[in-house]
Amino acid sequence: MKRTERTRFIITFLAPAVLTYAIFVILPLIQAFGFSVYRWKGISSQRKWVGLQNYTNALSDPAFRVTITNTFYLLIVVGIAVFIFAPAVATATTGKGPFAKFIRGVYLFPQVISMVVVAILWMFLLNPNYGLVNATLQLVGINVKQKSWLGDPSTALPSVAVVFIWYALGFYIMLFGAALQSVPEEVKEAAELDGASGFKKFIKVLWPMIWSIKRVAATYIVINVVNIFALVFLLTKGAPDRATEVPLTYLYEQAFGNSQFGYSSALAVLVFVMALMLSGIVMLIFRRDPMEPQRGSGR
Amino acid sequence: MKAIQKFAVTAAMVLFIATVIVPLLWVVVSSFKSSQEVFESPWALPAVMKWSNYSKAWGEAGIGRYAFNSLVVTVGALLILIPMSAMAAYVFAKFPFKGSKFLFGTFLGGMMFPNFLVILPLFLLLNSMGLTDTKLGLIIVYVAYSLSFTIFVLTGFFHSIPNELAEAATMDGCTLNMTFWKVMLPLAKPGLIVVGIFNAIGLWNEYGLAKVLMSEEPNKTLPLGIAHLATTQQFQSDWGALFAGLVIVMLPVLIVYWFFRDKIHETMLAGAVKG
Repeated sequence: MKRTERTRFIITFLAPAVLTYAIFVILPLIQAFGFSVYRWKGISSQRKWVGLQNYTNALSDPAFRVTITNTFYLLIVVGIAVFIFAPAVATATTGKGPFAKFIRGVYLFPQVISMVVVAILWMFLLNPNYGLVNATLQLVGINVKQKSWLGDPSTALPSVAVVFIWYALGFYIMLFGAALQSVPEEVKEAAELDGASGFKKFIKVLWPMIWSIKRVAATYIVINVVNIFALVFLLTKGAPDRATEVPLTYLYEQAFGNSQFGYSSALAVLVFVMALMLSGIVMLIFRRDPMEPQRGSGR
Repeated sequence: MKAIQKFAVTAAMVLFIATVIVPLLWVVVSSFKSSQEVFESPWALPAVMKWSNYSKAWGEAGIGRYAFNSLVVTVGALLILIPMSAMAAYVFAKFPFKGSKFLFGTFLGGMMFPNFLVILPLFLLLNSMGLTDTKLGLIIVYVAYSLSFTIFVLTGFFHSIPNELAEAATMDGCTLNMTFWKVMLPLAKPGLIVVGIFNAIGLWNEYGLAKVLMSEEPNKTLPLGIAHLATTQQFQSDWGALFAGLVIVMLPVLIVYWFFRDKIHETMLAGAVKG
């Protein structure tokens, strides 16, 4: 094989992907950081260099602060729910029976239908007058009258959290399911011989063995929660009174509602930095695998 | 004791799966009801199957046009994305060169960066090219933002194909170019299908990028269209048709998913754990 032929082949085969990626992904990414140091309102207006002023404005912007608080609320509620329900369902459905197989097929349904469908579906389910949620509560004797779950500031954000968990849980069940399957059969059998079964077997034997998947799951919770947009945008638009506002819906409002191009870019960078820091914290918490202490101390 | 425990677990699982399936079934059942039935008795079955909801959703409500747009954009993006990614992945897997690891890493980095960071510069870029509100613009953006994951999965796939086959083809006088299209690409077919289906589902469902780049009515894709119908007053009097629209959006995805679910699980896991 001639050297020039090889080089020419590599260039022609990589060029389409590299060019597309450079122009439409890398370039906007660099620009995103650049835009954030300008005061720039609308496509036609002049850009004015303002240094870090957009950032200091953002940090003292009460609306942006609310979105950060809401994000932390969602992170905690979603995190707790996922870490309880996902391993539980995954453990209960590891079997080879038809029922377990069926559940394994179905639990990803909310994940594969569009987020738009999820949002609209729950808009109907939670409707105060004819939604299935109120109808069901009525049916089992809980009188909710015409409770508006999304309209009441005290229940709006928890309702968003429930909908998000409904949407996301399947993915985490799948993660934990795969991890549990990778635990060697001998370990499971040995645990049963020692008399550990059910919940005890899970806590004492299996849970510590799937350490790395917990880090993956926690990282994905951070990424997915920080990236919530369509759900809130369609379900509540951040209402009532920003009770459900999340960073990305606020960013969208600033960029495309108010044409605050510079300011919204600074918001985007801040949200990105926050996501990076949270992922870093997750890495720290789940840094060391307690099953293999020698790994940490050996180096 | 053990029997009770087993019963409790099964009961909990039935309850869990009901919370997933019942809402989805409710949409399907409601799509055959009249608006009045939807309003008055959420749990009841329709008195008569109102198939006209579907023709109304498809025609009057514009779902037919939205579906056509989504189909054009999804298929168009796949037709560019798959060969483009396969070519790059083949080079990454079989023709390492100085800097190829770095380049591959740059592509992988795209899986970590959230889309919201680029949404404004991307909008302005497409706007300056005259590509906002065009199907072509959305297709190009979908290709660009699917490259990372697709190249990642396909590189793994090409790695698993032994070198001997390509070498034999070269011995027989095939150029590198011919070897790829005639020998390697057919061998990679299972990988191409999986990654194609995976991307098809994601692009068919995509909302955020489309929301920013497509604002004019005639070019809207299904997720944009159905969101528009649900949030504007215009169709709020005809719930049945709106539910029919939701069924039209989610049913194709659920059917495709059901047939390929094992492969889809595998691909999702590969992306999640290694990526």
